[in-house]
Amino acid sequence: MDEIIKITFDILSFSCIMVLIVSGLAIIASLMGIFNFAHGEFVLLGAYTTYLFQEAGLPVWAGMLVAPFVVGAFGLFLEATIIRRFYNAAIVAMLATYAIGLIVREIVRPLIGGRFWRVTEPIPGLFEIGDMSFSIWRGVIIILTIIIMTGCYLFLAKTNYGLKIRGAMENPALARASGISTTKLYSFTFAFGAALAGLAGALMVPLYLLFADLGLRFLVMAFLSVMLGGVGTFEGPVLGSALIGALVPGFQWLRELPIIVDILSPIFSEVLVFITAIIIVKFKPQGLIKRGRL
Amino acid sequence: MDNNQNRYRSNPSRRSFLLGSSALTAAGWIAAGTGTFVLKPNWAHADGHIKMGIATDITGAIGASGNTCWQVAQLAVSQINDAGGILGRPIELILEDTASDPGVAVGNVRRLIQKHEVDVVLGGITSAMREAIKNPITKRGKTLYLYPQLYEGQECTSHLYCTGPTPYQQCSELIPYLIKQGNKRFAMPSANYIWPQLLNKWTRRIIEENGGEVVLEEYFPLDQVEYSATVGKIKSEKVDHVFLTIIPPGLGPFGKQLFESGFQKEGGTVSCVYYDENSPFYVEPYALEDTYSCLDFFHSVNDPFSKQLVKDYNAMFKDTNYLLTAGTASTGMYRGIKLYEQGVIATNGDLAREAVSEALDNISVPEGPGGPYKTVPGTGHCAMNMYIAQNKGGDWNIISSANMVPPNECA
Repeated sequence: MDEIIKITFDILSFSCIMVLIVSGLAIIASLMGIFNFAHGEFVLLGAYTTYLFQEAGLPVWAGMLVAPFVVGAFGLFLEATIIRRFYNAAIVAMLATYAIGLIVREIVRPLIGGRFWRVTEPIPGLFEIGDMSFSIWRGVIIILTIIIMTGCYLFLAKTNYGLKIRGAMENPALARASGISTTKLYSFTFAFGAALAGLAGALMVPLYLLFADLGLRFLVMAFLSVMLGGVGTFEGPVLGSALIGALVPGFQWLRELPIIVDILSPIFSEVLVFITAIIIVKFKPQGLIKRGRL
Repeated sequence: MDNNQNRYRSNPSRRSFLLGSSALTAAGWIAAGTGTFVLKPNWAHADGHIKMGIATDITGAIGASGNTCWQVAQLAVSQINDAGGILGRPIELILEDTASDPGVAVGNVRRLIQKHEVDVVLGGITSAMREAIKNPITKRGKTLYLYPQLYEGQECTSHLYCTGPTPYQQCSELIPYLIKQGNKRFAMPSANYIWPQLLNKWTRRIIEENGGEVVLEEYFPLDQVEYSATVGKIKSEKVDHVFLTIIPPGLGPFGKQLFESGFQKEGGTVSCVYYDENSPFYVEPYALEDTYSCLDFFHSVNDPFSKQLVKDYNAMFKDTNYLLTAGTASTGMYRGIKLYEQGVIATNGDLAREAVSEALDNISVPEGPGGPYKTVPGTGHCAMNMYIAQNKGGDWNIISSANMVPPNECA
């Protein structure tokens, strides 16, 4: 029983990180049809901002608070200068975002000396339930993710602006014809998606390390999640990311079982995540939740 | 996708495509450029330099160790040059960044040899790096190579000298000590490359010979960040001691997750044979507390030469974050440079690889970091003092030591 609680907690915390990262990507992809290859670098920038606060002697939680705004502003700037020129050519847009990602990554790399840096979590240590101990910071991430996702959902479902976004997601031409300015909408959404990614990076960097390729590592899993969850809705990719977030540590946990431990090495477990995703997509090509204009 | 959007296409003309791609290629060439860094001695005459190439990881996951090696190399060479050089000839240091990436390293090392024509190369930290650069240096490059880092043994390539400790030197004292402390069940979480795989073979044998048992031995990709399942297994299998061979970037997350599972709180202990005074770069202090290490040098070693060396290093590099430590290959780097100096003195200034290599085969050096050391003839390795230490509050306290432990390699 203890084991199951521990497993659930660990899987849940990793899923939450994936959900935070992917939700921004999902909104951008669903609304504008652009797969943002620089999304990993938004995560990196959020983590880097937090690290800068730590190095300047300021509290780390302040850095985490500021990171989404910094990255959101950067997203707004990118959208206004580069991304908006490519709304009519989605493939070229992907190339453009890939280039942006490359530039950001290689600028950050020498700034952090090409090395790996520790960022200490604002609330380190463990909390105990019975004789099981859990990382406090992972618990904080789970709680924050639930709050943020609930907030996003309420924003999309209950507010006027959210209604406009959903309308534009389903049918942009009709939305424009109804007087909704899709340009402003796209700017806001891109910035919002970037801010979410920045927040994800800031929150999860104490669990790992800050390094220039941090974004790349999660980008591949993020795309898998969006592919799995289906483009066009908000819930689809969130579900997809929760699934991927569960599979990555989940397959490692599968190795606890007696026979599986002999055939499944830790390295193959990573490959298995991708194989599973491919199998799921084979049966559900539109993703787990298919709605929206794709 | 909206139908309207498909109607808009951009048709790049052939000319603009060619212009664009050639501009990109030119930019790529310029960007690749030269990455070499050359340190000329300040009393130079045009000929007569001895060119020493240092190929180490200045950037990347192993950067903390690489930077330390480079600084120690500068210290050693400045000491030699200030004393008049080797038989009157100054040493010129040439640095290439191997960037913790064996693929990149091969190209950079080739530049050291073909463009700069160095007389000797010292460097490489991870075994993967050594394996990648040893042939470009010793076979195609026909150059002498000294490898300064602790490693898994079985490196018997000719004209390749290892100045860091071997598994026998590190584990033959450490494991019996750990078992005497009451640790019977061992776990060996490892990075998936050659050093942990071969080291674990040694360690498993010594553990089993001394009555212990290995309950977990697993190999992870270098960049794995989630270890919850492994840590869970370590707890459920009631492991007494974790013999850790995970390297950065996985090291930080693993140390954290192991601590967060309560392993140390319940009395579990950890050892890692490259943990030293620089480890706070990679590992949180709370994960470092009470861990064991066995190396050829710690700052707490009570040896006047070692203490003076640390003082000179700190004076030359004030406020540096990179301390002179054994786990970063920097003690091996110092040893290697001094060995080369003795080798060239023994050949009376002949820098030809065969001559120096033959001289290196049998050299005793009375003073070094951690104590005296000597090459064991026919093996290409060094006998040296070894110390077992435990981390308490950030300091490494020496528990026991052994003098001039033989390397037990390439016999």
